[in-house]
Amino acid sequence: MANDRQPDFEQLPEFEKEFEKLVDQHQSMVFSLALRMTGDRGLAEEIAQDVFMEMDRNLGRLESADHACFWLRRVTMSRSTDAMRRRRVRGIDLWVEMEDVHGAAVEERASPLSARLEQLLATLPEPQRAALILRYQEDLTPEEIAATLAAPVATVKSHLQRGLKLLRAKAATHLKEFVRGH
Amino acid sequence: MDIDPVDEFERELRGAFERRPAPPSLKRRLMEKRRAKQVVRPWVTWQRLAASLALTAVLAGGVEWRIVEERRKEEAAREQVFTALRITSHALDQMNARLAARRRGNQD
Repeated sequence: MANDRQPDFEQLPEFEKEFEKLVDQHQSMVFSLALRMTGDRGLAEEIAQDVFMEMDRNLGRLESADHACFWLRRVTMSRSTDAMRRRRVRGIDLWVEMEDVHGAAVEERASPLSARLEQLLATLPEPQRAALILRYQEDLTPEEIAATLAAPVATVKSHLQRGLKLLRAKAATHLKEFVRGH
Repeated sequence: MDIDPVDEFERELRGAFERRPAPPSLKRRLMEKRRAKQVVRPWVTWQRLAASLALTAVLAGGVEWRIVEERRKEEAAREQVFTALRITSHALDQMNARLAARRRGNQD
């Protein structure tokens, strides 16, 4: 979960110098956000690289560790959305690729139920997916999600509500063993 | 204890959406890219400096050319005015000479 959300940097100059430390602390977050948004491991890695290189260029502007974390989330979500838009223009469905190429790998690492939930998440509309990822991966409040996505809180709440409802409906249809088992 | 199905579903989601470990190659490639950028930086700095100097030179040349051109036009305009004044002065002299000659003829 988001247990390393608030790294403890004491001094700003040190913070600026510790690019490597920031990468260590946040690479998992950045990579997971990009992966869940795009569904493409290669693209997620590219996005993560771009995001960290941009952070390197903007280190001086980051005011605190919290700000760095917020900035990374915001830029990652924005870059992921841009990447998906570019791919859509080229007519590539990333999540179809994800299922074909990386589906097996996902199944291996996570429990079958988790993997299938993740696959169902991929079928949700992009704004709902973004809100749910930030809610359940990063454990953010609707207000924090709104700030990250630069969207009104009411809109985010609506995306969360609708996304969750849709995901539950899909889970009820596709994951009957989960529903019956519980 | 009964668990609210919504809560359980959400808890399942939290479990499913745990952060994935980033590939080990990500950090290595990032650090390499960063080092490469730092090596390139002096070149980039020099290139930027050279480009700035070249741009400044071009702009200064342009400004200088414009000043010279304006001076040339001013000089040409002044020459034209002087020429016009000389012609007018010459015409007036001729007119004065004729009037003087006529006055002398009338007196005789």
